[in-house]
Amino acid sequence: MRRFRGTLAGALLAAAAAAAPAALGAQQARVDTALPTPQLTPADSALDAQTAAVASQLRCPVCQGESIQDSPSELAMQMRDVVKEQLRAGKTPAEVKAYFVSKYGEWILLEPTTHGFNKVLYAAPYVLLLGGLGLIFVAVKRWSANGTGQERSEQE
Amino acid sequence: MTGLLAHDALMVSVVVVLVGAVLGSLGIRGGRADWVQIAFGTVYANFVLVSLATGAMIYALVTHDFSISYVAQVGSRETPLFYTVISLWGALEGSILFWAWVLGAYSTAVVWLNRKRAGNLVPWASVTLLVVALFFAILLVGPANPFKPVFPVPADGPGPNPLLQNHILMAVHPPLLYLGYVGMTVPFAFAVGAMFSGEVASDDWIRITRPYLMVAWGFLSAAIIAGMWWSYEVLGWGGYWAWDPVENASFMPWLVATAFLHSAMVQERRGMLKLWNLNLMVGTFVLTILGTFLTRSGILSSVHAFTEGPIGYYFLVFIAIVLVAALVMVAGVSDKLHTTGHFDSPTSRETAFLLNNLFLTAFMFTVLVGTLYPLLAEALRGVKVSVGEPFFNKMTLPLIVSLLFLMGVGPALPWGSATKAEMKAKLLPPFSAAAVMAAIALAVGARNPYAVLAYAFVGYAAFANLREYWIGMKARHAAHGESWPVALARLVGGNRRRYGGYVAHLGVLLVALGIAASESFRAEREATLAPGQTITVAGHTARLKEVWGREEPQRAVIGATMEVVQNGKVVATADPRMNFYPTQSAPVPTPQVISSIGGDLYFNLMAFDQNGSHATVKLIVQPLVPWIWFGGGVVVLGAIIGIFPKRRRRTAPAAVRHPVPAVAVPLPSEGEA
Repeated sequence: MRRFRGTLAGALLAAAAAAAPAALGAQQARVDTALPTPQLTPADSALDAQTAAVASQLRCPVCQGESIQDSPSELAMQMRDVVKEQLRAGKTPAEVKAYFVSKYGEWILLEPTTHGFNKVLYAAPYVLLLGGLGLIFVAVKRWSANGTGQERSEQE
Repeated sequence: MTGLLAHDALMVSVVVVLVGAVLGSLGIRGGRADWVQIAFGTVYANFVLVSLATGAMIYALVTHDFSISYVAQVGSRETPLFYTVISLWGALEGSILFWAWVLGAYSTAVVWLNRKRAGNLVPWASVTLLVVALFFAILLVGPANPFKPVFPVPADGPGPNPLLQNHILMAVHPPLLYLGYVGMTVPFAFAVGAMFSGEVASDDWIRITRPYLMVAWGFLSAAIIAGMWWSYEVLGWGGYWAWDPVENASFMPWLVATAFLHSAMVQERRGMLKLWNLNLMVGTFVLTILGTFLTRSGILSSVHAFTEGPIGYYFLVFIAIVLVAALVMVAGVSDKLHTTGHFDSPTSRETAFLLNNLFLTAFMFTVLVGTLYPLLAEALRGVKVSVGEPFFNKMTLPLIVSLLFLMGVGPALPWGSATKAEMKAKLLPPFSAAAVMAAIALAVGARNPYAVLAYAFVGYAAFANLREYWIGMKARHAAHGESWPVALARLVGGNRRRYGGYVAHLGVLLVALGIAASESFRAEREATLAPGQTITVAGHTARLKEVWGREEPQRAVIGATMEVVQNGKVVATADPRMNFYPTQSAPVPTPQVISSIGGDLYFNLMAFDQNGSHATVKLIVQPLVPWIWFGGGVVVLGAIIGIFPKRRRRTAPAAVRHPVPAVAVPLPSEGEA
């Protein structure tokens, strides 16, 4: 549906004026002809869940930082289909992700790898947190030692 | 004509704030009270000038004066009046103008309300506000000039970004955000004023600052929630938070300001953490400017966008100046800030607040590192990397869970010191609520350990905070024989700051519960339906009734009418739509949400057939989403209650007239939080 361009939108404006659904001047991306009310088997929903899990870790190349799971764009739709096909063919999630990295580069991963320089990214918050905990431990011990027994402040 | 006048007003405002800042600082140094008065006057004058320019811009937008560059950029004759007016903040130049106006309004209020205070704190704070105003005034006559003349004058404009004219919340979120963001300038100005005036060692500046900080914090909280809501209602993916740099930019100052609200209490009670508090206030302000820089310069979406507009450099220079100046100042006063106080015991509310500050700071740091890392990696390694939602979720969940727990521990622990028995009596009972919540979560199928912990600690903290009300009300009921509602009202009124804080806690807990439930129990499906066919997600069934189209003045709309069916009866309908704007190649999704207290049914139209015979619809079922919006309201209510520290005259004499008999707890309505 993201293929609309000015001309299509213009045609649509005219069509919409007629307010008849039959005249909607738009193209349709993904409708098959005969459609029963869709039913899901347990195996399907397991595959869907796995697809969603992988898709939410891959970045949509044409969006603003959205994952291909969240993006409604057509490219993301196609990429989701690729993920699903590869998972159905028996690839592991890691292999599917590796496939996309080989095609698009590391940038495609919404969660950076933990290799090399990226370790800094993962370690920095914990360094701060642990350092802070140590500091608080020392400070509280010292500050409490100063004042034990003296002028206990009134509560409330 | 309008444009020229407005531009002249802004030029004059540059001169006025410059004169005010210089005269003000010289006047304070030289002891010239009249010069200081003139500096105060320039604050008001600047507000008048910027208001003129802002009024002129609104007038130009409404009258479609396309000879003005900003109107030519965002205006359009087809756009409804309402969206025309709010497009004032729809793009860069207009939002800088609006920023300057909000800053002018805050500065005027600060100076007017505090003009009679003795000492140099307020004069120095005014000079600081003038310097910040100078920066924005320079932007407005330079790189972000919204009044550039356009020739030849176009007959019509493209209109605002469709995403921004697609929902009413766009009228709410940006002003709230600016009120919050810009409001953080005021506490910063007082912090600088405290350092310059030598009043830094006293806690007076913190007390004066607090109401302003509460106002800004309340607006920022509301803005973050409104932004989440907007993203949920407009973007069509059924989420409300994506750790987008824009969202992170609004969240980081909130975290630091929240840390300050807590640590300021330690300074007031104990005379400690003075240096730390100065740093938090400087940090909050720098983060607001940094956030604006990151999101407005385009540096994060593409490193090359940085070189396209000069405005990024202005921000970078300003950040550098503020940081260096602040560091020099803080270093200069640090010897005056020897800790005078001490802790009675490690097991006290003071310690809980230290941990609260550590976790909030670490939270901010994690978000900051994750937001900036792509720049760092590209600069150092030459590799483009993404840092997105999975990273932030993984890294921040332990911090969020810890903070939820601390929200229960802090209010439970007394100031000073707690004995072992007190600790047991205070800290153990809330675990019963935690156990109940965890059990419910497990029973309904939560399996992620962090999610279960989050539910448990929400229960823990809710118990601990509600118990504070209960204890206080019970004490008043017993001591004064007050009815329960009266006891509640007097309890809160007697110490608004403390009980407002607990209300804000409860609001945050509601938000946390809404997020945890909607994240862990989200179910979604997408199906292509013919009219009459149904889609079922998590037990909710909806039927496609029809696909329809209609034309509106500024757009064309295609919609799919979905009927929610229960036991064969239609109980609700939704019309997810796609809006087609002539200037936009892609349609703007317009999802529709059916909300109830238990959760949302979220419909989004993904695709449709040209003859109206089919539509592809996504249905997302998420429990408790409305609790997030409601919780946000409760947070703001807490901020409103807490703005004024206490109502002195009404409750204090009452307490004297009816001395409290031996109640197990001190009556928690007198004194500070």
